[in-house]
Amino acid sequence: MVEKGRKLITRREFIRIAGITATSLAANTLPAASPTKNTAPPSQQLLSSTGKAPRPWWVKSVEKPTVEIDWDQLQRFDSRKTMRSSGFAAFIGQDEYDHLLRVAEESEKQRIINHTPGYTLKDQALNAAQGLGARGARSFLGPQNAQTPHERGVAPWSGSPEEASRMLRVAMRHFGAATIGFVELNEQTRKLIYTHDPDGKELVFQDTDQASETATRRIIPNKAKWAIVYTVQMSIETVKRAPTAIAEQTTLLSYSRGRDIQEKTQEFLRGLGYQCLGEATSNALAIAPALGVMAGLGELSRLNRMITPEFGPMVRMFKMITDLPLVPDQPIDAGIFDFCKSCKKCAEACPSSALSLSDEPSWETEGPWSNPGHKAFFENSVNCRTYMTEKAGTNCSICFAVCPFSKKNKVWLHSWIKAGVAKLPFLDGFLRSMDDAFSYGAQKDPEQWWWQNLPEYGIDTEQTLRED
Amino acid sequence: MDNDDYRLIRFMRRPWYEWAAWLLWVFLEILFAQAAIASSKEFEPRAATLFWLMFGVLLLGGITSYIIRRDRLL
Repeated sequence: MVEKGRKLITRREFIRIAGITATSLAANTLPAASPTKNTAPPSQQLLSSTGKAPRPWWVKSVEKPTVEIDWDQLQRFDSRKTMRSSGFAAFIGQDEYDHLLRVAEESEKQRIINHTPGYTLKDQALNAAQGLGARGARSFLGPQNAQTPHERGVAPWSGSPEEASRMLRVAMRHFGAATIGFVELNEQTRKLIYTHDPDGKELVFQDTDQASETATRRIIPNKAKWAIVYTVQMSIETVKRAPTAIAEQTTLLSYSRGRDIQEKTQEFLRGLGYQCLGEATSNALAIAPALGVMAGLGELSRLNRMITPEFGPMVRMFKMITDLPLVPDQPIDAGIFDFCKSCKKCAEACPSSALSLSDEPSWETEGPWSNPGHKAFFENSVNCRTYMTEKAGTNCSICFAVCPFSKKNKVWLHSWIKAGVAKLPFLDGFLRSMDDAFSYGAQKDPEQWWWQNLPEYGIDTEQTLRED
Repeated sequence: MDNDDYRLIRFMRRPWYEWAAWLLWVFLEILFAQAAIASSKEFEPRAATLFWLMFGVLLLGGITSYIIRRDRLL
């Protein structure tokens, strides 16, 4: 109908047009008539044949990691020099170490008596219970219980490295791993394997068919050329109670789950006819953040742990070595290491001043507990460990809690901010200020944690299924 | 023109940049509201409060702007 030279639309015409539009849109979303191999909804589809989950568009794969590495200078490192194991007592002296332990024990008792929030009897009991799982026995060679193909009278599994990678990723996700990456052990990346495990056994590469273990050595066959590195989520909501016992127990829970995933993966690969060499004790075998960075799970950061695009630093990392041929992954650049240069929130919040406040990373280490050969924000691990033992009575984790990347992903804006960090580095300073203004790093009430309706393990296991 | 069979919907003429500004306003309101609601679900009360504040200020600003422009144009 035309009125005064303008075409008017009738109600009937409008409804007709709307119906045609809606039908066209609906038809385009219907699945294809013929069945395909992969019919999962787009958000749950595996992006590649190697089983890698979709990643946000602003995470790009790169040839070299964002942390500079001098592979000629880098050497294999002795894990006994780190502050996690016997290294701490070696650096400060056994007498001082014993003194700190006595102080810690007395402080723990006093906090229970004083009903200090986060350190009450129920908090400590929860922490101790989680610790049982975390410190449980684990094995370099694996439980060795699963039936091998030979025992079944069949041939070992065979397939392409792509198929193997997808199969292993899916299996490990089902075991509970958050993200999984693979690194091929070549002349350079072998340097990320420790010389000695925390229990003192030497890790030796040999031209042999089967891995083995003696009283003093763990033998890794040269043909075991693929490192499997994986993350286990920690509960962001729980770590935000750092440095209390409430926060520590989510770390221990992650170690417990990591150990469980290792055992199951070892048995899974044994069942396929392959070897899988795991951590014999906690934090053994290799430098976890280094392998994680090389596998593209995240980037190195100011707090000297790996920060992931998905979970920030709220993960614990574990590794294994296998002779199942896998497709190696590449490092990533998501603007994280760059953001750390201007942010410094973890270093400013660190109560022991252990973290570096430098504007730029350095080749110079702070002490023999760090492995030279990469350009990083090296920390004073003695200060860190002393504070943990003497003052916090826990593994602290304040740096994890205040990190701006420690975010859940329900708020759309957080995803776009991460994209901004990756693509618009001139906004880094402003974004750090906004993080402060919105109080994201502030410690939360430990007692309130016992009233919160959190998911199982306190984590969102669907976080990586939702694309940013 | 209104009669039994037809209704007339009239849009006030506005320059393109004004339509763009209103679109941006709607977009920001949705963004802030979503952030406020999601922050509450994430147990971040201070962030939720700030986002609701931003939502409210922008809402008042939008209403005020609409009323002023409507009165000027009439």
